[in-house]
Amino acid sequence: MAEPPTAGRGLVLTAKDVAKAYAGRPVLRGVSLELRAGERLALTGPSGSGKSTLLNCLGGVDRPDSGSICFKNQALELMDADGLTEVRRRDIGTIFQFFHLLPTLTAAENVELPLQLNGVARAERTDRVRSLLERVGVAGRSQALPGELSGGEMQRVAIARALAHAPAVLLADEPTGNLDSRNGAIILDLLQELSDETGTALLLVTHSGAATHICHREIHLRDGLISGVRKADTD
Amino acid sequence: MPDQPHVLRILWTRFAWRHWRLAPVSSWLLLLILALGVAAFFSIRLANEAAVAGFANFTDLITSESDGLITAPVGPLPTAVLKDLRQLLGNTPVNLVPVLETSAVPPRRAETEGIGARPTYQILGLDLPALVNLSSPAYGGGLPATASAEASPSAPNQPGGGLRTNAVYISAALARRDQLTNGSRLSLVINDRLAALEVAGLIPNRPNQPAAPAGLLIMDLPDLQRLTDKVGRLDRIEFVLEPGALRAERWAAIKQTLEGANLPAAPRWVVSSSAERREAGVTMTRAFRLNLTILSLLALLVGLYLVFQGLNGAVVRRRNEIAILRSLGVTARQIQQAWLVEAAVIGLVGGLLGLALGWLGAQLAVQTVGRTMHALYFGRNVDSAPFDFQEALIALIVAVAASTVAGWRPARLAANTPPAQIASRTGTASDPGGRWLQRMDLGLGLLGLGLLLTFLPPLRMEGGARLPLASYATALCWIFGAGVFAGQILAGFARFFQWLKWDSVPLGLACSHLRKPSGRHRLAAAGLVCAVGMTAGMAILVGSFDTTMRGWIARTFQADVYLSSDGDQTASSINRIAPATWESIAKDPSVKQANVIQGRELILNGVSTLLVGHDPRFFRDYSKPAWVSAPQDDTVFDAARNDHLVLASESFSERFHVAQGEVVQVPVPGGFQPVTIAGIYADYGNERGAMLLERGQFAKWFGTEMAASVILALQPGSDPEALRAKLRAAHPGLGVFTSGFLRGEALRIFRQTFAVTYALELIGILVAVVGLAFTMTSLLWERRNDLATLRALGLRRRELSWAAALEGGLLAVAGLSAGLLVSLALGWLLIFRINKQTFGWTLQTDHPWGQLIILALLVLASATLAGWFAGRWSTRLPAEREE
Ligand SMILES: Nc1ncnc2c1ncn2[C@@H]1O[C@H](COP(=O)(O)OP(=O)(O)O)[C@@H](O)[C@H]1O
Ligand SMILES: [Mg+2]
Repeated sequence: MAEPPTAGRGLVLTAKDVAKAYAGRPVLRGVSLELRAGERLALTGPSGSGKSTLLNCLGGVDRPDSGSICFKNQALELMDADGLTEVRRRDIGTIFQFFHLLPTLTAAENVELPLQLNGVARAERTDRVRSLLERVGVAGRSQALPGELSGGEMQRVAIARALAHAPAVLLADEPTGNLDSRNGAIILDLLQELSDETGTALLLVTHSGAATHICHREIHLRDGLISGVRKADTD
Repeated sequence: MPDQPHVLRILWTRFAWRHWRLAPVSSWLLLLILALGVAAFFSIRLANEAAVAGFANFTDLITSESDGLITAPVGPLPTAVLKDLRQLLGNTPVNLVPVLETSAVPPRRAETEGIGARPTYQILGLDLPALVNLSSPAYGGGLPATASAEASPSAPNQPGGGLRTNAVYISAALARRDQLTNGSRLSLVINDRLAALEVAGLIPNRPNQPAAPAGLLIMDLPDLQRLTDKVGRLDRIEFVLEPGALRAERWAAIKQTLEGANLPAAPRWVVSSSAERREAGVTMTRAFRLNLTILSLLALLVGLYLVFQGLNGAVVRRRNEIAILRSLGVTARQIQQAWLVEAAVIGLVGGLLGLALGWLGAQLAVQTVGRTMHALYFGRNVDSAPFDFQEALIALIVAVAASTVAGWRPARLAANTPPAQIASRTGTASDPGGRWLQRMDLGLGLLGLGLLLTFLPPLRMEGGARLPLASYATALCWIFGAGVFAGQILAGFARFFQWLKWDSVPLGLACSHLRKPSGRHRLAAAGLVCAVGMTAGMAILVGSFDTTMRGWIARTFQADVYLSSDGDQTASSINRIAPATWESIAKDPSVKQANVIQGRELILNGVSTLLVGHDPRFFRDYSKPAWVSAPQDDTVFDAARNDHLVLASESFSERFHVAQGEVVQVPVPGGFQPVTIAGIYADYGNERGAMLLERGQFAKWFGTEMAASVILALQPGSDPEALRAKLRAAHPGLGVFTSGFLRGEALRIFRQTFAVTYALELIGILVAVVGLAFTMTSLLWERRNDLATLRALGLRRRELSWAAALEGGLLAVAGLSAGLLVSLALGWLLIFRINKQTFGWTLQTDHPWGQLIILALLVLASATLAGWFAGRWSTRLPAEREE
């Protein structure tokens, strides 16, 4: 695993005793964690253990039944739906297993969208989109529609989109789950480099052991409870 | 979060607009559908406007707009009244414009030419020399000018100078249309004579006034008086004040003087302001306009249903995109606003398109609506409908507002889409109308409420028209009530087919979806119920009307030969047959009996109707009336005993609320005559109503022997055709018709009026099927993953298409069964409530079963076909990649 972030850097995200049930069946049963700026945290566990549910609560698209989540010292449970959306727009980048690029927008336009939503001026947007696409290695495909890209290329564009507005946290739910191992490795390297470069915290839900290697810490979930925490071990 | 316009702009430019460009066909289809609704709305209103505008006095076009006028309560005014008026008004600065008005038509070119095929001209007789005063710029007026440059230099065309006998001034429009110049001959039928007129000049256009219509002719007053046998008589005298401040006040003062005055030449007369008369014209047609507006709103409603379905489908298809946008930080409200804006833009663009189409439609509609109004009310021609900005604005606002309303639910649906992270978990959340359409209590309640409403009387409007508002509400209640039950029927059919256990995979698939119908299914079935119910209900009304009319026509035209002035084409025509003419005809050896008909328009309680002088015995023996209330004995048919006894038409008794045995006060020159209603007969030719009086009394009361028409029964063995040819040769100004010809004509005119209903029926089916197609594509889109799974399991495309076709077909069966049931109820409502209350006609119910079966088969076939195409389309959809 990689080096842990230098101590003393600020807390970005904290969860305390987060619990959630669906139709009376508990999915999360009191989960607490902390994420610091620049830190990369892996969230592992068997299928159905509640990883995605936890990630959704942390990202403000779902609400826990109890417990508290603080994002940069703001309690998410105190915000209304629009407030949560605003946080998502400004401070969170999301990467999905199925890429979720907008099919009618070109690669460049997909990356540009978060900047537009945040009201960034056009000239700045163009520059930033170009440099991001170059950085993730798909500058040559900037005018292609998602349907014309390969899975690996799509996920690179999705990473560029997630980082476009320089969010404080990047949430990724099995970003390599739909890619072959070679492309998966490339994506993981990219995530590692970019979070180092930008200081963006990364919360990575994953099955693969390879993915945990790029993280500073690993939290293991089982039946909605944290069943183990692993600090980065030196390679 | 504060409103962020830049987010809306992004949503619009990057998404909505792009989708529209990517799917041009369906986008245009949606716009076109809305445009058609708006066009119907706009064109009907424009045509209406034009028809009512035609009511403004024609004299306004030549003189300055008049301030008021006097007329006799019935019949003409004597010319001598002018002198009385001058004396009375002293040197008050007011111009008196005497007017005589008549209608005329060109002689028929072919003997078999249909009624209404020739143009009708309106001839105004004006005191042209006196009008020179009014042509001064102070009045903004102008006088007839020379028709064209090539006018013969010798012709003495100076107005006020030596006018030629039978000189006529024509509009520039007519000069252009018929290539007329000064000196051209114009031959017209006026009363029972053929008159040769000579074009002497053009009617000038006045600034800020519409150009004179092609149908307007102007003659010098004495010429027209002579031509119409009305020497010394006038129809009205108009008052024109000098324009300027206090004009209204000056007119009010004059009106007061007139009202208190006593004119020796005309003991009784009526003074009215032009503004009042225009108001009256609007009032008279208010019910007609309201009915049309309801119809046009219906067209709009249909457009909206489809816009709703279209937008709803778009939300379903763009659901992924919305979910991703929500993940990226677009709020629910912004999504909702964007969709509302999209709906409004559809309304705006569709509306603008609709205005263009509607304006074209209005030009066509004035021909038909204008003609109907013309025949019913005015007797004036309208040949174009000018573009009206106020109406256009109203139509546009209605389109945008309505489209936004139609987009409301889809926009809510879009806004409720959760972010992508959880959207795939919650499945499809879009189920429009699901809750409402499952409520049986609501369905029953609506059906019951509709039944209660049928007991309410119609709304009585100023001007005598009745508007069956409660019955319209009943129709809506029943349609929506039946719509609620359609979903239930759908589920029933699906269970029935499953119970049959036919070994068919497509049928099993179709039934599995319909067993528990979704809101989308229920809505589509309800839409079908609505379309089928209205269409079939209308067909039942028209079928009943057809049967009733045919019976009536066969009974009514039983005499052999019918005579009227050949200038007579409409109900309000004022061409007459002189007594010398009809007396000589009655003496023809082949004539056994003649019924001389006289007629007058009457105003009773401010409502216009007809009084007819006739031979009651002839009426009984040859017209075979169908009695609503038969006369108690033979008194009314006996010339010796039928003093002050009349027969009233059913429409008359409905309009004026009078029953057999009741007394009506009839205004006649010099007072009133009380008449007693001896019997009530059915009449489908005239919705204004009529009272039939023995002709001798009519002639005495009104002091005239001029006949409106003459009906002849011939001696056995004589040939009607031979008599017709003989009479035509002797009296070229007479229209002579055999009963066979008239029967054909009556049917033709009736069918023409109802032709539009067949178009409506087609539109109804089209709407139902397009709505169903929209529904099917949405349903299949939502199911695209299951479809991919089914294909993976080995189902062929063809089988999947068939499953969709069966689903569409079963939907149609459910919609048809509820729709046809409700159509029977609607047919009853239309015949015994709406039609009876509006026109006062009782129809004999006749269900056109053949037509209904064809309708059902058409709907079934096209719904199945729509389902099949949607199914085939759906098998090519890429499956969504799911976790
Ligand atoms: N919206 C939901 N409704 C009902 N059950 C849900 C919903 N979301 C998640 N679950 C259930 O919660 C459990 C945890 O799901 P999830 O967080 O997706 O697990 P993981 O991502 O670790 O595989 C699963 O059993 C899943 O079925
Ligand atoms: Mg998961």
